[in-house]
Amino acid sequence: MNKAFGIVNFAGNHIQVAGLQEYRPVGAFSFLGRYRIIDFPISNMSNSGIDNIQVYVRRKPRSLTEHLGTGRHYNINSKRGKLDIMYAEGGEVGNLYSTDISAYIENMDYIERMPQPYVVIVPSYMIYTTDYSKFIDAHAESGADISMMYHAVDNAKEAFLSCDTLNINKQKGVLSIEPNRGNAKNRNISMDTYVMTKELFLDLVNKAHKTSSMYTFADILDEECGELDVRAVSHRGFFAAITDFKSYYDANMALIDLKNAMNLFDDEWPVYTRTNDSCPTQYFADSKVTSSVVSNGCLIEGEVENSIIGRGCIIKPGAVVKNCVISTDVIIGKGVHVENMMVDKHSRLIRGKRIIASPEKPGYIKRGDTL
Amino acid sequence: MKQNNMLAMILAGGRGSRLHELTKKVAKPAVSYGGKYRIIDFPLSNCANSGIDVVGVLTQYESVLLNSYVAAGRRWGLDAKDSGVYVLPPREKSDADLDVYRGTADAISQNIDFIDTYSPEYLLILSGDHIYKMNYAKMLAYHKECQSDATIAVIEVPMKEASRFGIMNTDETGRIVEFEEKPEHPKSNLASMGIYIFNWKTLRKMLLADMKDPDSSHDFGKDIIPTLLNEKKNVFAYKYKGYWKDVGTIDSLWEANMDLLNKNNGLDLNDPSWKIYTEDVTSLPQYIGSDAVIDRAFITQGCIVGGEVRNSVLFTDAKVASGAKVIDSVLMPGAEVAEGAVVTRALVAGGVKIGRNAVVGSADSENIELVAKRVKGDE
Repeated sequence: MNKAFGIVNFAGNHIQVAGLQEYRPVGAFSFLGRYRIIDFPISNMSNSGIDNIQVYVRRKPRSLTEHLGTGRHYNINSKRGKLDIMYAEGGEVGNLYSTDISAYIENMDYIERMPQPYVVIVPSYMIYTTDYSKFIDAHAESGADISMMYHAVDNAKEAFLSCDTLNINKQKGVLSIEPNRGNAKNRNISMDTYVMTKELFLDLVNKAHKTSSMYTFADILDEECGELDVRAVSHRGFFAAITDFKSYYDANMALIDLKNAMNLFDDEWPVYTRTNDSCPTQYFADSKVTSSVVSNGCLIEGEVENSIIGRGCIIKPGAVVKNCVISTDVIIGKGVHVENMMVDKHSRLIRGKRIIASPEKPGYIKRGDTL
Repeated sequence: MKQNNMLAMILAGGRGSRLHELTKKVAKPAVSYGGKYRIIDFPLSNCANSGIDVVGVLTQYESVLLNSYVAAGRRWGLDAKDSGVYVLPPREKSDADLDVYRGTADAISQNIDFIDTYSPEYLLILSGDHIYKMNYAKMLAYHKECQSDATIAVIEVPMKEASRFGIMNTDETGRIVEFEEKPEHPKSNLASMGIYIFNWKTLRKMLLADMKDPDSSHDFGKDIIPTLLNEKKNVFAYKYKGYWKDVGTIDSLWEANMDLLNKNNGLDLNDPSWKIYTEDVTSLPQYIGSDAVIDRAFITQGCIVGGEVRNSVLFTDAKVASGAKVIDSVLMPGAEVAEGAVVTRALVAGGVKIGRNAVVGSADSENIELVAKRVKGDE
């Protein structure tokens, strides 16, 4: 019997991904060609034996609801398990009143009705794999009120700038939670991943709601961590936070390196996604593909280097794709050269012959665009 | 069932002994093909895409894997209400002893009770070991149009190869007047594809009679079809045009995989309107390394390519280490080729490892080498 139900939170107002986010929530972003970001938190839960999962969404839920469906592809026990999509009716990205707390308040009766004693809350904009069942057990054993995960990084000056950091004492107690202001290299980045009893969670939500209508869950936790016993649990392995366009591009590119990928993926810890029933990818005689991650269903006649190719893409003869993240169902036409770009779904790059951005500032081609 | 009143039965009991070690543990319909598929995915997906809701799969030889594989009808979308894939191995009945299926027709006869529960108007008989895409709804429309008692799908084969097949001789209307099994001097080149549509009532009567006939071998080709023709029933040939392959040998299985490397291979697995469904695996996308050379290849999920792959098909989770070469070959699921090894004109069975610097197969071999056991390298 699983002790906890899961909540997959939406990306808060501090997360703004130019371009992609106009079409779908961060959780529904295509990732590494084959996946969507939300596949990671939900697979983590499913593999950890959590099979009652609430996914919170705000604006533009279509692609996310389509992808999640009944949740059957996440191997959640289809009779006893359940994947619910929870709408935050007033939810609008950027609206200061649209917080995770307001979404929980709106769906309070559903949370109250969950039979499990614990709740695990995880974000939909972070990519990592971890076993929540160990996290829950360690928490229950520790006697702490709340346990939360963090990832120690040494590049907090230039990355994770929209994330929170944890101040931790020697006993791994959380002293405070504050935004990463980019003034130190070494930081403990909050993974927005918590476990606590359902009762405490509800108390905190109500308290936050009464204190300020703009409070987020992280805000109330920062305020309460003096009173409560909040423990920090370190995470090792691959970790990425999708907080803006650059971090999305970088997280994809980092996983082209098989060594990094092996830090994220494990045969014993499958990451599930919705199947598309695409056939294998066909590489033609004049194709040249190196250092790339390629999904199924592609027809490749051109050149691909250091790139991620989504499902069902067509790379025509003479095309050059370099340092790109290509989403699903994209056509790169004859002789077209694309470099340092993220090309969104259903785009057709047919006429523009050279589409090149600088490596420091990768470019973005809109969904369904024809060039 | 409600969609077109036709129930399909797939004959999947064949052993496929000419595939040697590949069918030692699994029946031929469960043999892997085309990177991510098993052969039986083709008739099952064709059924699903043709609007057939109920499919019986007749299994017999080494059926454990096949049974569990096809029982997951959801893979092919055959899991709605009143829909399903039913595995039908021989079973003991109250009025008969447990017996093997004595022939293709007997396999159907022994399941008359199953078919009767759906009381279909038409019965579609398929073979579980052919690779092709076909819309059975169109064949049914033709069957109705001709007011046939039975319709047999045929494909034109080269005249000089016709003596390897069951050949249908037709009159000018397409009506079959004569059937010859592997004729020495064929009169036509219309080969039977082993795909039949019967009016269930007619076939049911014939099967009941056939069961009692001590001289019958209980086979569609040898007994049922000849009887239909002798009785001057309406039997029409339905001409199929397109890719069709019966992969009976290692060479033909290799060839069928190589066909996929041609741009216009006729099978067009990429056609979104007629997808072939299969088991959904959780392997990673394909990882292509910095020194990889890929020249004409069909590669699927879970493959890691560090070395050279030319004219080859790589199945799920196959790995080619950097410095290894795979040429004119097929690597079945999970096959691994270590650094410096060279694989040429070979079919490497699932999970088999080729060790470092090992050399397997040769460019001028007459036959394709089947590698079913680990090949030690110099490590």
